[in-house]
Amino acid sequence: MSERLTNDATVDAALDALRASATTGEIFLREAQSGSVEIKEGAVEAVIARGERGIGVRVLDDQRLGFAYTSDLSLNGIRECADTARRMSALTERDEDLALATKAIDDADLDIYQSGIVDRALSERAAIALSVEEAARETDPRVKQFRKTTYSDSESTTIIATTTGVRASFRESYCGVMTSAVATENGDRQIGYHGEAARRFAELEPARVGRRAAQRAVEKLGAKPLATQKVPVVLDPWMAMDLLRAIGPLFSADNVLKGRSLFADKIGQRVANEKVTIVDDARRPRGLRSAPFDGEGVATVTRTLIENGVLRGYLTSLKTARKLGTESTGNARRGGYGSPARIGPSNLFVAAGSDDATATVGDFDRALAVTSLLNLHTIDPVSGEFSLGATGNYLERGNRIHPAQGITIAGNLTHLLNSVVAVGNDLVFGPSGLGSPTLVISELSIGGA
Amino acid sequence: MTSGERTTYANANVADVDDLMALAGRAARSVAEGGELHEADEPEPDELPRHSTVAVDPRSVAVERKVGLLRRANKIARGLDPRIHQVTATYGESVQEVLIANSDGLFRTDTRVRLNLAVHTVAKQGDVLESGFEAIRGTAGFEMLTDEAVEHAATDAARRAVLNVGAEPAPAGTYTVVLSSEAGGTLIHESVGHGLEADLNLKGLSVYAGRIGQKVASELITVIDDGTDPNKRGTAAMDDEGTATNRTVLIEKGVLRTYLSDRKHAEKLGIERSGNARRESFRYLPICRMTNTMIARGTSDPEEILKSVKDGVFVKKMGGGQVDVVSGNFAFEITECYRIRDGKLAEPLRGATLVGQGPKLMSEIDMVGNDLGYSTGTCGKDGQGAPVADAQPTIRIPSVVVGGKLK
Repeated sequence: MSERLTNDATVDAALDALRASATTGEIFLREAQSGSVEIKEGAVEAVIARGERGIGVRVLDDQRLGFAYTSDLSLNGIRECADTARRMSALTERDEDLALATKAIDDADLDIYQSGIVDRALSERAAIALSVEEAARETDPRVKQFRKTTYSDSESTTIIATTTGVRASFRESYCGVMTSAVATENGDRQIGYHGEAARRFAELEPARVGRRAAQRAVEKLGAKPLATQKVPVVLDPWMAMDLLRAIGPLFSADNVLKGRSLFADKIGQRVANEKVTIVDDARRPRGLRSAPFDGEGVATVTRTLIENGVLRGYLTSLKTARKLGTESTGNARRGGYGSPARIGPSNLFVAAGSDDATATVGDFDRALAVTSLLNLHTIDPVSGEFSLGATGNYLERGNRIHPAQGITIAGNLTHLLNSVVAVGNDLVFGPSGLGSPTLVISELSIGGA
Repeated sequence: MTSGERTTYANANVADVDDLMALAGRAARSVAEGGELHEADEPEPDELPRHSTVAVDPRSVAVERKVGLLRRANKIARGLDPRIHQVTATYGESVQEVLIANSDGLFRTDTRVRLNLAVHTVAKQGDVLESGFEAIRGTAGFEMLTDEAVEHAATDAARRAVLNVGAEPAPAGTYTVVLSSEAGGTLIHESVGHGLEADLNLKGLSVYAGRIGQKVASELITVIDDGTDPNKRGTAAMDDEGTATNRTVLIEKGVLRTYLSDRKHAEKLGIERSGNARRESFRYLPICRMTNTMIARGTSDPEEILKSVKDGVFVKKMGGGQVDVVSGNFAFEITECYRIRDGKLAEPLRGATLVGQGPKLMSEIDMVGNDLGYSTGTCGKDGQGAPVADAQPTIRIPSVVVGGKLK
């Protein structure tokens, strides 16, 4: 093996390789360390440590784009990768709107990095997971087992550089803990999941994670079917985030341009109840998906996508922004050096409202407060249709009558946004950067007995 | 590395000694102290039989020919109906060279050539958008992608989008449901398969825990997981711990026989290793999971099953699903279905889902056809994806909840 090049020297070598072949392009480097600790019945069951370092090279030659990546960061490996990207570009279609970033990226301290997070002792990391289980058991004696409790963390460095003069980097850290608690009573067994994450170790609250997972499991004990009917539905912040995740693709300019989004041609129009404001904030301090720039080297911004129910904008990349005649919003996100950028939200959230959700629900004769959703990954962002397995608490005048299971809830995402009748003031952010307060939906179809 | 109950695992995608040393250092900190080191046995290489044939290695096929298949799929799908306004066709190939060696002296290799040609369509009618999907996937060579197969996939993807864009929303409620063999096997995968994974059963968390030898389904039901099924998407010579894959009868005429296991859980539960330790890549730990899972053929004529239903729902194609293994409750998506009226297919319905509880549903199935149909998918468990196939005959469920909308 040859001598290890530093991250900056690696990027320089890749830029040199592009310039040597007289092509323009972009280098994306990611170095990451991550790990996880899984516990079982009070003892450490599995410990995983991962490391990765690699570059992704995009070549833009004659308005054709080629992509290649490698983890072989020797001088030869870097040159070969640049060469492969150049050869790939010859195979793709010309697109006049392809472009590389050209604007300098502003300095922004987003407070997303704490050094040494992955170097903490195993005992310290395992203790977080153990205290989650302890808190869950203390919450309710019916919580006796766990499907899985995992603590995980990561630390990474990202560098972007283009032959057009953009160069920037940032570091970030992440730690999270999640559990699925199992509650048992009279032969009935129910599971409750909860997970949280933070940029800093000290900000994790394992006791809260354990308590909520325990509540989630216990509240389903004794669940009964529900009759097929239409009822108002309460989505607590965590359930609302699950559905908000499915709404994200509707804002993608790529989907809009390809006619795959129900928000196509709707800018300036009402697409949600006026109580609904949705923001994508890549600059949120300590936000779990905050970053100063995106996967194409474009500075990120804070944007209101839906303002009091009116659609204000889409999420764009350099190419899609050009096609729409606008500027990139910095939403070309990359999962790693080995995958090209795809349009996606950063910290996408429903802004806090001023409604008292409890009071709103108290006015309804009947309602369903959803406690878990099955099959979220099958929501079709093209049609917006969703039809999901659910559990919930059946309410009358706001009082819990009994838990329900073996039912479905169905609707359309656009209909859901228009049917929001109350937005709570309890905005919470979840482990994937999404955020929402409690939402009350005027009516959804329940399938059941 | 395993010591007692604990597994320590380190992996890296780095090429420098310094990076590897740093990673090893991080992993070493997790290993229990005081253990004794001893030299491992000399490995003894052995060859396992391969269950998939690769006549044409996809790596030897020119990229132009692959692009040609996609263009053909695109043309066929767009030509089917003017309401088709978007087509995405993708081709993917993956060649996995796997080598597994352990301190017991095991040393085995496997090559897994997997192909995936998928067609995704969007149909538009008024303000309604609907998508359609079909894929050809298998552990096989390029010869699998015949012109007929591609035409079939493109046509089905387009037909499904057009059908759904003009369909009425499925009315929510409880119905008699006939699941066509063409619908694929999401039902068996979600309603039973996950619940039979040994890791969940060892913890006593599955609804099937401690029930070996007991009746857990109708006697019409036999469930098999077969990692040796030639050229199927979940097929391999060995699992990702080096255990040879098997045809494992999990439920025989309604009676639970065994679980899907890896080395650790087979030993703990005192069952035979079934060869079901699978991992997404070297970056993950192997976990117990399915390969190609099926409900075996029964004896009823599929036509007779349909004719037997006066009012119900006919499911022609299933999509993705999910199960809560602790309570056994599952849900899966239906991507093509029709109302049954007087034993015949009537109007198409869109946006339906099916929910139920695994053991309850399996004991209620009252007709099983003598046909068999396969589907393919990517199973997600604990954040890892694994290629799988599922299969089932046409079956009848007397009463089950179908999710949908109410007017």
